[in-house]
Amino acid sequence: MSAEIRHEFQVIGKPTPKKDAPLKAAGRAEFADDINMAGMLHGKLLRSPHPHARILSIDASRAAALPGVRAVITGKDFPGVRYGNLPRTRDYLPLAIDTVRYIGEEVAAVAAIDEDTAEEALDLVQVEYEVLPAVFDPEEAMKPGAPQLHAPAPGNISAHTESEFGNVEAAFAEAAYIREDMFETHAVKQGMLEPHACVGVWDSFGKATLWSCKMSPYTVWRQLAMGLDMKPGDIRVVQTYVGGGFSGGKQEAMPMDFCALMLSKKTGRPVKFVHTMEEVLTIGHLRHPMKIWLRTGTTKDGRIVAQHCKLLANGGAYSSIGGFSIFLAGAMLNLPYRVPNMRFESNRVYTNNGFCGALRGHTVVQMCFARDSQLELIAADLGIDPLEIRHRNAIQEGDVTANGFRIGTFAFDECIKRVAEMSGWHEKRGKLPKYRGIGFGCGAHLSGARLMGHSASAAEIRMLEDGTVHLTTGSTDVGQGVETVMSMIAAEVLGIEVDDVTYLKVDSAATPLDPGTFGSRVTLFTGNAVKQAAEEVCRQLAEIAGERMGVDPQDLIFRRREIVNHKDEKQRVSLKEIVRWGMFQQGKVISGRGTYGASEEKIDFRTGQGNLSPAYNPTACAVEVEVDPETGRVTMVGLWGADDSGTPLNPLAVKGQVIGAAVMSIGHALWENLIRIDGKVMNPSLRDYKMPQATDLPKLANFEHSNVITWEPEGPFGAKEAGQGAGTGVVAAIANAIHDATGVRLTRLPFTPESILAGIEELKEKEAVTES
Amino acid sequence: MTYLRRLPKFEYVGPRTLTEVCSLISGGAPDDAMLLAGGTDAILQMRRRERVPRRVIGLKGVAELDFVREQADGGLSIGAMTTLHSLLSAPAIRQRYAILHETAAQIGGPELRNIATIGGNIAGALPCADLPPALMTLDAQIKLSSHRGERWMPLRDFFPEFGRTVAQDDELLSEIKLPRPAPYSAGTYLKFHDRQSMDMTVVGVGAFVVLDDDGRTVRELRLAYANGAPTVFRAMKAEAVLCGQLFGEKVLDAVAEAACSESSPRTSWRANAGYRLSLIRALTKRAIRRSWQSASSQKGTK
Repeated sequence: MSAEIRHEFQVIGKPTPKKDAPLKAAGRAEFADDINMAGMLHGKLLRSPHPHARILSIDASRAAALPGVRAVITGKDFPGVRYGNLPRTRDYLPLAIDTVRYIGEEVAAVAAIDEDTAEEALDLVQVEYEVLPAVFDPEEAMKPGAPQLHAPAPGNISAHTESEFGNVEAAFAEAAYIREDMFETHAVKQGMLEPHACVGVWDSFGKATLWSCKMSPYTVWRQLAMGLDMKPGDIRVVQTYVGGGFSGGKQEAMPMDFCALMLSKKTGRPVKFVHTMEEVLTIGHLRHPMKIWLRTGTTKDGRIVAQHCKLLANGGAYSSIGGFSIFLAGAMLNLPYRVPNMRFESNRVYTNNGFCGALRGHTVVQMCFARDSQLELIAADLGIDPLEIRHRNAIQEGDVTANGFRIGTFAFDECIKRVAEMSGWHEKRGKLPKYRGIGFGCGAHLSGARLMGHSASAAEIRMLEDGTVHLTTGSTDVGQGVETVMSMIAAEVLGIEVDDVTYLKVDSAATPLDPGTFGSRVTLFTGNAVKQAAEEVCRQLAEIAGERMGVDPQDLIFRRREIVNHKDEKQRVSLKEIVRWGMFQQGKVISGRGTYGASEEKIDFRTGQGNLSPAYNPTACAVEVEVDPETGRVTMVGLWGADDSGTPLNPLAVKGQVIGAAVMSIGHALWENLIRIDGKVMNPSLRDYKMPQATDLPKLANFEHSNVITWEPEGPFGAKEAGQGAGTGVVAAIANAIHDATGVRLTRLPFTPESILAGIEELKEKEAVTES
Repeated sequence: MTYLRRLPKFEYVGPRTLTEVCSLISGGAPDDAMLLAGGTDAILQMRRRERVPRRVIGLKGVAELDFVREQADGGLSIGAMTTLHSLLSAPAIRQRYAILHETAAQIGGPELRNIATIGGNIAGALPCADLPPALMTLDAQIKLSSHRGERWMPLRDFFPEFGRTVAQDDELLSEIKLPRPAPYSAGTYLKFHDRQSMDMTVVGVGAFVVLDDDGRTVRELRLAYANGAPTVFRAMKAEAVLCGQLFGEKVLDAVAEAACSESSPRTSWRANAGYRLSLIRALTKRAIRRSWQSASSQKGTK
C-alpha cells in the first residue's frame, strides 16, 4: 500500500505559514506600484462625466502642450478591435471611440513626467459630448423605446440563458406545496487593498511587455493581443505580487493596461498607471445586482420536486464575464439540494452603470441567498425543522443532478450536523432572548469549471544542482496561498522541504499556459499538474539513482531529501548527490512536466447539461445575531461553519480562506453597498463603501470553522476547493438569523438597520391591530 | 466626476503667533484665504475642488493655540489647535468632562485623532461633527480672535445655517472654555453609524443631566444633536420638558417626542429623514437614561 493511500505525509496536511508572509509583513514584496524604471512616465485616464453620450470631438492639443506632458492618446490611437471574455460578448475597447456608456468610462489617456502633471493635463483635454438618454434599471432597459446601449444587443439583452431539466410543469402539478418569492441583491465590490496598477514597456523591437497585478495573466495576454490587434507572441505579461484579487479588473486587460503600452509606444519610455481607490470603486467589475424570482414545489414532507427560477441581472455597460455569470447561477441551483425538475431563465441586461462580472463566489452567493431564505420559509410553512428540511433534500455522494453534475465526495449531511453541534443550534433555536436569533444557511461551490475554451493547467519542475527545484505554473498567488500549497505538493512528492521549492511568478514568456486563477480551480487543476510534474522528476531521478545504486528504480522512494530503497532502507543516497551525478556526469536536464485537463467531458453551455466541475464542495453555517429593536442595528455574535473541502493540504491556509470568505459575505449582507444614483457612484471611498472591520465581526472565540474531511479522488492528495464555498451560505444564514431574532423577513440586500427597523415597526403595528 | 484630485495650487503661509494669524486674515475676502487646522476635512474639500483658496494659512506652528489648561474657577480652557489625541491624554478631561473624552475617543482612528483638532471640528460647521454636540451640552463658550480684539460667545449660537458660522471673515476660533461641572451631573454622547467604528455619524445625541441636591429631580437637562438638522443644535424645548421633573420613562417619551419635533434631519443616500428621527427618538432616551443613572449614582456615593 502506498503512502498516499495510507494518507501518511511528510508535508501535506501540516499547517504551513505562507511562504511570502515574512516578505509582505516586512513591506518588501514588490507590487506593481513599487516598480520604477529609468525614464518612467506616469499615466492618467480621462473619464466620462456622462452615463451615456456620443463623443463628437476630442481636442487634446492644449493638454499635449502642457510642459511635462509627453503624449496624449484617445480611442482612435487603437485599432478599434473590440475585446472581451467570451467570443459572443466582446464589447470592450481600450478607450471609447464614439460612445461612452457609463460615468467613469475611459476616454483619453495622458503620460507625463509625474502624476500631478498628468492629472493637470486631463483638465485641458476638451471633449465635446452629445448627451444621450440613459437607462439605469434593467426592467426599464428591456422596455420598447428604452435607450439602446449596444447595437448588436436589441432590447439591451447582453446575455440570455435558459435551461430545463426533468418535467417541471408536471412536477409542479403534482406538488403538494408551492411557494413563490422574489429576492433582490445589490452592487458590491471586491474591496482588494491594492488598486489596479501596471507598467507598460514597448521596446525598440516592437514587443510589448506589461508588468501588472493580474490574477489570470494569460487572459490578459490574449485580450491585449485582441485589442492591440497584435500577435500574442509579440506581447509579454509579467505578474507582480497581487495585493488581493477576488476577481474583477485583475482578471482582465483593462484600459490602463492598453494605455500604458500605447503611451510607451508613443514616447519610447516605460509608463506606469495606478488607479486611485475612487477609480477602482467607480469603474465596475461588481457583483451583479439581481432580481431572483424563485418558485418551489415540494411534497408534504418538504422534499423539493421542482424549482423554477427567473433571474434578471443588472449587467451595467459592458459584458465582462457576465454571460458566464448568469449561466453559473442556473447551474449552481442544482447544488447542494436535490432538485429533480428545474427550469431556469435569465437575462443579463445592459444599463448605463459600471459593469458587473465575477466576485468571490461569483453568482452562487446571490442564488444561495434566495434559495436558502426560501427553504426556511417552506420549512416554517410545513412545520418542518430547518435542519431536517435540509437533510431531507441534501445531495448525497454518487448522485447525478438533474443537469448532469456527477457528485463524488459530498459530505453535506455531516457539515449540517457539525455546524449544529458547534453552534449549539438545538440549545439556541427558539430559546434565545428576544431580539437575539440564530439562522442557518448552506451553499456549495465548484473546484474549477470545465470551460469550452481553455480548461487545462500545466506545471513544470526543473531540478537545480543543489537539490532544490524551480516550480512554474500559470497560476498566480493572489494572497490565497497558491505559492505555498503548490510548493507543498511538489515537496511531498519529491521528499524535500517546502523551502526547497521556489515558486516563480507567472511570465507569459516563460511559464506554462494556464486559464488563470478563478473559480476555485487552482488547487485541484494546477495542483494535479504539479503532482504529475513532480512524479516525472522522481521517475527521472529514480532512473539515475537506480543505475548508481544498482537497484530497481521501482523500489526507490523519496523522503527527507534522500532516495531510499524501501526494500532495504540502509540503501540510501542523498538527493543532491544523485542530481549532481546526473547533471555533471551524464549531462541530464532533470525536469518534469505535468498537466491536468479535467478529462474529455465538456459541458453544453446552450442546454446547461454536463458535469461542470471535477469536484463539488458543500458548505453549511450558522450565524447568531443580536438586533437592537430601537435602531435596527445588527451585531454579529457568532458564526460557525463547516465544509467538505476534501482533504485540506494546508489547514492553515484553508482556515484563512474559509474565514475570509465568510467575512466577505458578512460585509455584503450588512454593510457593503455601492450606491449609484443615475449611474453616479455616491460612495467611491473606503470610508463610505463600508467593508467590515474587526470591531464588526464576531469575536474569534465565536468564529469557528470545521473541515469535514473526505478524500476526493479527483483532487491532488484528496483536496477540493476552499476559497469560495464557505461564503455562499452566509448571507441566507444572516437573513434567517435576523428573522429568528425579530420576525422580520428580509428579501432585499443589504440588510440595513433602516430596513430592519421598518420591519420591526410594521410587525408591531400588525400586532396592535390584531390585539385591538 | 468628483474624483479626489491633486491639490489645487495655493500659497502656503505658516504663522507662528496668534497675532500674526489675525493680521494675515484682517483684510481678507472669504474665498481668498483658508485657515488650515488638522486638515482632515479641508484637504479633502480642496481635493474635491469644493474649496479653492488662493492662500492657505497653516495653524500648526501656532503653539499658543495648543493647550489644555485648568482654570482658577474650576473650568477648563482648551486651545483650538489641540488635537483629539491631546484631548484624550488630558487627565482633566478624562476625570471631569467624561462626555468629551468619550466623544473624542469615538472619532475616526488613531491616525486621524493624531491630526484632527477640536477647533477644526467646530469651525468646519458640519452638521455631522461629533464634538460640537458634546461641547454644547457642557455649555461651552468659544473665543473668536481678530486684529480688532476678541469676543466670547456660547457655542450653541455659533452655527446660523448649514456649513456656516457667525465668525466674521477676519475672525478665528481660538479657544474653547468649559464651565466647572455642577455636582451630581453627568453626560453622554451616543452616536449611530453603520459600522461599529471608523464611520460617519448618521445621528449623534449629546445629553447632560444636572440633578438637584435630592439626587432625583432633574434641575437641568441639555441636549444637542449631530445630523438632527442642517446644523448641530441644542434642543431647548425638549430640555425644558424634563426640567424640574422627577426622572421617569413617561416623561422621557415626552422629551424624545419634543426633540423629534425640534429636529429637521435630511434625507440623503446615507439615511432617510424618517429613520434619522427614529434614531433621535431612541438615542435621546438612551442618552438621558444613561446620564441620569450616572449622575444619580454620584449622589449615592457621597
